[in-house]
Amino acid sequence: MSQKFKAHVLPNAAPVSNGNSAAMETSIRQLLANGNSKAALESAKQFHKTEHSLASEVLLLEAYKARIQTLLDQNLASEAKALIQLVQERFPARKEQLTDIGAVASARSGELSDLVQPLNDPELSAERRAAIEQILQTQLADLQALADCQALPAEHSLRQAAAALERAFQAVTSGPVSDEQIALPEVSHRSPLASWKWLIRAIAALYRGEDAACRESLTFIKAESVPARLGPAMQAILGAVTDIAALKPHERTLVSTVSLNLLDLRGALQQLDEAFIRDEDERIFKAVRNAVRECQRSAPDRLPLLKQIIDVRGGESGLDGARLIASMEGAPRRDAAYFRMYARQLETAGGDPEDLAEACEMWEAFRKAAISEGLFTGHSVELAVLYLHMAGNLAQMPAKMLREFQRDGNLNTWATDRSQGDDRYYLHPEKLYARACLIDRDSEAFSQWLNWAKGQTITEAENVAKQWHKARPGDIEPLLHLMKQAEKRNAFPSALAYLEKAERIDAVDSVVRAARWRLLTAAALRHLQQKKPHLALQKLTEMAALPQSQQGNRPGFLAAFRVLICSSLADKDAANEASREAERLLGGLTAILLIFTIATTAKRDELAAVPPPKALKDKDREAIPAAFASVLTIAKDAGIKKIGLASEYFDETQKQLPRAAGKLDLEQLRALGEIGGWAGYPKIAWAASTEGLKRPNAPEAFFLMVRARALKAEFEDRKIVLAAAAVELARFQGDAEALNKAVEFLREFSGDDTPTLTLTLEQARAVVVKESAYPDLPGFFTPVPDYSDLFPADALCQCANCRRKRGESASGPFEDIPDSFDFAEGDEDANEDQDLFPDFGFDESEMRKMFKQGLPKGTPPEMANKLFEIMKQSILTGESPEKLLAELLGPPDRGAKKQKKKLWGKK
Amino acid sequence: MNAYEILGLAANASAEEIRIAYLNKVKEWPPDRSPEKFEEIRDAYDELSDPRKRAKAMFLDTTFTAPLVSLIDSLPVRRAFTGPKLWHEVLKAK
Repeated sequence: MSQKFKAHVLPNAAPVSNGNSAAMETSIRQLLANGNSKAALESAKQFHKTEHSLASEVLLLEAYKARIQTLLDQNLASEAKALIQLVQERFPARKEQLTDIGAVASARSGELSDLVQPLNDPELSAERRAAIEQILQTQLADLQALADCQALPAEHSLRQAAAALERAFQAVTSGPVSDEQIALPEVSHRSPLASWKWLIRAIAALYRGEDAACRESLTFIKAESVPARLGPAMQAILGAVTDIAALKPHERTLVSTVSLNLLDLRGALQQLDEAFIRDEDERIFKAVRNAVRECQRSAPDRLPLLKQIIDVRGGESGLDGARLIASMEGAPRRDAAYFRMYARQLETAGGDPEDLAEACEMWEAFRKAAISEGLFTGHSVELAVLYLHMAGNLAQMPAKMLREFQRDGNLNTWATDRSQGDDRYYLHPEKLYARACLIDRDSEAFSQWLNWAKGQTITEAENVAKQWHKARPGDIEPLLHLMKQAEKRNAFPSALAYLEKAERIDAVDSVVRAARWRLLTAAALRHLQQKKPHLALQKLTEMAALPQSQQGNRPGFLAAFRVLICSSLADKDAANEASREAERLLGGLTAILLIFTIATTAKRDELAAVPPPKALKDKDREAIPAAFASVLTIAKDAGIKKIGLASEYFDETQKQLPRAAGKLDLEQLRALGEIGGWAGYPKIAWAASTEGLKRPNAPEAFFLMVRARALKAEFEDRKIVLAAAAVELARFQGDAEALNKAVEFLREFSGDDTPTLTLTLEQARAVVVKESAYPDLPGFFTPVPDYSDLFPADALCQCANCRRKRGESASGPFEDIPDSFDFAEGDEDANEDQDLFPDFGFDESEMRKMFKQGLPKGTPPEMANKLFEIMKQSILTGESPEKLLAELLGPPDRGAKKQKKKLWGKK
Repeated sequence: MNAYEILGLAANASAEEIRIAYLNKVKEWPPDRSPEKFEEIRDAYDELSDPRKRAKAMFLDTTFTAPLVSLIDSLPVRRAFTGPKLWHEVLKAK
């Protein structure tokens, strides 16, 4: 191998070997196969120079063609065309072999004359025509070149189609286009340019946001056609291709330019949100400027809303208004949306009740703007709802504060222009309700008005009810309200008149049906009280004529009542007969107690008498709880709220109940549970609830609430647990009344609408099971159930006293008890600091005071000391000290009990 | 999305516009093919077709308290017109 040859051999060119031409040829073909056309061409030139054979010439021509193709692929069409010309000059005999690739190069370079010239020949073979069209389809990227190609006549369909496509392409990539602009009737579906038509439609759909249509159009583009080259970029714009980095540089540029990037705006908005959360003024102002600028740039149609939100939030954050507006480069639009936003912000801030008045002012501004903008009219339902909403706001404000606002509130001027004589009606709930009901005579509106008025004055509520009745005579609610008010002031004829109206509307309404019985009873009682027995008898006759008079114990009640009326009429025979009837229907003791109850309610005690319980036989005394409960049930049914029975009967009921409870039905237990609660006999309530919880299908929620109310105040945690369990059980059992009571009860502890404790149904049922195991009303030394697991650990008071009340262990309660005590009068102070029951949280003086209060007056100090020793021993041995004391001393008097509660109630 | 957005309506749409929008949406999302979407559309219509409910929803709206990025979440797809040059460059490159 010569030095000259070596200098011309490219590094990758295959070395020429005189003796191994076959190997050389193989090497060149390998280079071609590997796509290394440049080295292959150089080697082929050397090979042909050496061999000068036909085979080497063929191989050289193949290498030239490969090189030309590479140049075309590199968009070097001119270089490719020059090389083709060179080869054709050097190998004129093989010119034909380069015709096709020459046409491709022409198409690529836009020099189409040679390519399309044959199309003018009507004798052109179909194959040749198809080949030219194939080249146009797969290589022509410059439509304008074809449109301008002089080799074809101006009216040639290809030139016409190319010109139309170029116009459409320019239009569709430059702005919105009409359907006519992209209809392109010049381009048939058989045209080699048909794929361009689909491309233009795809681009139009892309810009219109019709992504599905865009995708569909793309599917009609032939894969080998030039328009198909835009496929990956368009799929990326559509979001189908997420890896933008995988695209070619031109494609990436197109995708990033066409796809409007909201990332900057998104980031700016997030920063603004964070700034408001951090509540740092400088940071907020900076973020506001940035967000407004970005919004202006990439989403200008969102800018008005953004400014409004910023202004409202800025107001909440107490930002300098002028500076905020400057940061926003202008004030927000003060339209209905703005005022609504402002009002809602004031309502939901939840801080100052004054905000609610300001919110109403903003709602008034909203009303004016909304009517002006045509959101609703001045007499539309929407306006009525708005008035109710505003009134609801004011109803939440403390009355005194509201009055101050009404008098001299210094509000803004959005809503009110006093110089124009604007009425500040929007600060007066009554005016708002009246306006709402005037516009929309809806029951719900009147109901809200009446509920509000009930919290004002009786007269106001009655006036509202009368207006409601006048506006909607078919509604029963206002009549029932008026009836109840009349009943409360003993105006029974008026109450009955309202009732008659209500009965005409809905005679089967449960409230209406109960009211008739209750009102007639009340009227009869009043006549009896006024010593007008003949009138009372009339009412009683009316009652007897009612269909519901035969329900339950009502016949017995009528008989009992008749006893008193007949006695008042001095008709002894009739009275006796009625008495026998009552006893027959109710039982002897129940009848006696009921007659007495009716007599005391009518303030005619002289007409009836009951023997003291002690005068009764043992069997009758045992029946007292059942009789007592029956009387309570009958009295409740008749609307009699005061039970005039002597306290001995309560005491006796309390005494007998633990033994008799098993014989009572659920209704009787309910009655005793209720009476025990409000009459100050918690043991009655407790015993009734204990028995009630044992019964199958018992209203467990009701009995748990009975227990919750019966417990002393210091058992707060247990009260909460019981009420929380009642809430869950009432919800499960659909007991709306118990649910409402339990929720209200819990609110007393939490002070707001948030429940203090929430239990699951399983936990609530476990509470019932636990409670059933504790039949005694708890005192200080009574074992109590442990509910600590139901409370969050950090919500529990860990003082020994509270731990014990929750039922948690308080170990070693008497570890530090001194061996002897001195309870001598006057020595209390000496022992005041001594921690007698350290783990219980009680000090000695408290214990001593409590203990002494439980002793009868005049108990000698020595005896007190001895008794305390007994109590201490009883605690150590696990006995109930209360029980022990009660056995030793008898039940404490009421006054002492109250005082004790006060002393022990403190934490 | 609030009821107006679900039905593609402006906040001051009339009762007739609400009804027409509802019927169109039901055609687009029939209950047999898209039960969940249909339910959403029906709930939106229930709210908007009752003037009291519609008004209550309007007065209780708190969308302004949502993160600010929600302002652009519902923006329609936006694409910039670039002219033919960038498109041509992709077409010419192979």
